[in-house]
Amino acid sequence: MNVGMTVLAVASVLVLFGLGQRVLDKMHLTDRAALILMGVIFFGGLLPDIVLGQVSINIGGALAPVGVCLYLLFRADTKGEVFRALIGSALTAGAVFLLGRVMPDEPERIIFDPNYVYGIAGGVIAYLLGRSRRGAFICGVLGVLGADIAVAVMNRMNGIQQMLYLGSAGAMDVVVLSGFLAVLLSELAGEILERISRGKEPAREEAVLHPAKGGKQK
Amino acid sequence: MKKLLIACVLLCLLCVPAMADETLEGKTYTIMDADGKVLTHFCGAPDVGDEYIAGDNGHYRIVAVDHTTLQAQTESLGAYVLPDVSWLKENAQPVTAQRRAVAMYCTHSDESYTPTDGKSSDEQRGGIYDVAEAYKKALEDEGMTVYYSDETHHPHDAGAYRRSRATAVRLVEQGVDAVMDIHRDGIEDPESYEGKIDGEEMTRVRLLVGRSNQNAAANKAFAAQIKAVADEMYPGLIKDIYIGKGTYNQDILPQAVLLEFGTYTNNKEDVLASTGHMARVMNKTLYGGVSGAAPVQKQETENDGSWTGVVWLAVGVIAVIAVYAFVSSGSGKGAMQQMKNTFRELGGSVTGKKKE
Repeated sequence: MNVGMTVLAVASVLVLFGLGQRVLDKMHLTDRAALILMGVIFFGGLLPDIVLGQVSINIGGALAPVGVCLYLLFRADTKGEVFRALIGSALTAGAVFLLGRVMPDEPERIIFDPNYVYGIAGGVIAYLLGRSRRGAFICGVLGVLGADIAVAVMNRMNGIQQMLYLGSAGAMDVVVLSGFLAVLLSELAGEILERISRGKEPAREEAVLHPAKGGKQK
Repeated sequence: MKKLLIACVLLCLLCVPAMADETLEGKTYTIMDADGKVLTHFCGAPDVGDEYIAGDNGHYRIVAVDHTTLQAQTESLGAYVLPDVSWLKENAQPVTAQRRAVAMYCTHSDESYTPTDGKSSDEQRGGIYDVAEAYKKALEDEGMTVYYSDETHHPHDAGAYRRSRATAVRLVEQGVDAVMDIHRDGIEDPESYEGKIDGEEMTRVRLLVGRSNQNAAANKAFAAQIKAVADEMYPGLIKDIYIGKGTYNQDILPQAVLLEFGTYTNNKEDVLASTGHMARVMNKTLYGGVSGAAPVQKQETENDGSWTGVVWLAVGVIAVIAVYAFVSSGSGKGAMQQMKNTFRELGGSVTGKKKE
């Protein structure tokens, strides 16, 4: 690989790392904790999967994001928040499963990359249910994992013996990407709606200076 | 409960465009130039904005699609200038051995060839794996190390790319120079892929690259390089290049390409016959074709699209941050301040200077 390609590959990884750190920063975590967690997702993704029979589970691509989801569910302020996150995850899993089945599958026919659509579904569903960034992350992550498990069950019912890989692409897995994309979408939607309702009124100084710690999260 | 209902309705709405498109499955579209001359056929509906580089290097962009007549209109972008491969004619110098490695896998595990496999789709293991294995052997015969995965990614749907992503990443982690996703086309007419090279019957190969990722320019340049080498070595082997809206997991590596070895109505023996030629083309494209193990000999001065990708990546990141900052702050000044804070926080958390 020449210099240009190496720079492109490194830049891609750095962007994903930076994006992930900013997203996790909004998940009841400090900057430092978010950074460490991104390290776990990246380097854990490179470790061999944990294999349990026909299921292969990646540390960085599945266990770490699910760990964050569990942490968020335990730290939820109300039972309603937990309920909405779980319902949202089930709905997202349904959406991911359906989208995977009905979207165009042949390369020439794809009009929007399916791997990006799942995170959008998670973000939209979570925002509608609770206007929650944290809920969006849970929906994005658990939704994709749920859909993968549903496909494995369907395959088994159809007599197809196939290994189930959960998060095996590590930091680049759709599980991780969907979690991040869902949060970004929900964050952007939240900011736009908040801006519309606020009109020309300036944002609170605290929110501008410290958006990660501000009271804008719900 | 109301929110739940809205979310359910939205879930259904998300599927509507896709379901609408599902009705187009199996239909073959005819792609025509501005004068009505048929350029090629596609399985399923192409989309406005997709690009097509024909066998004769005519470069087209799809400007209109008529779903009633199953025809797509294109505008000409002139002749696509392929990279200079005059170095193919030079005698490469033998050099000390160095690892040469590529990876390959099959996203659509059911794809088969009706005349020889008996059906177009096999839900256990399609005939495409026979093609992939023949291609792997041919690449190994050229001196390459091939990381090949025979994992299946059933069922054959859009979710297959989600499942094959894990396979692709695990292969790329081995440190390969290129990754290839092996497919066959779904158009009915076998003749569109049939060809002869050195008097031998074989099928041709279509290259597909996506443009919805940061590696798009590099992927396209890689495909163009393959075609340039093939046109010199085995004219007609590469049928054409299609540049679509998907990603096809090509965001994983700058040198990634999707290859369609014939279509489902072709005889698999003819498809297998093309794998050796394709392997020799790939060897020359990646390594300059020095016999035995050797490092890259081909020219590095060509624009391989990588720097274009870096620039687009930087522009994209800055644009997203700027839009977000502007929306949340509501003013240019506030946006600038917020962007500064974002970069400071990100940098501070890395260096440990920022207070938590």
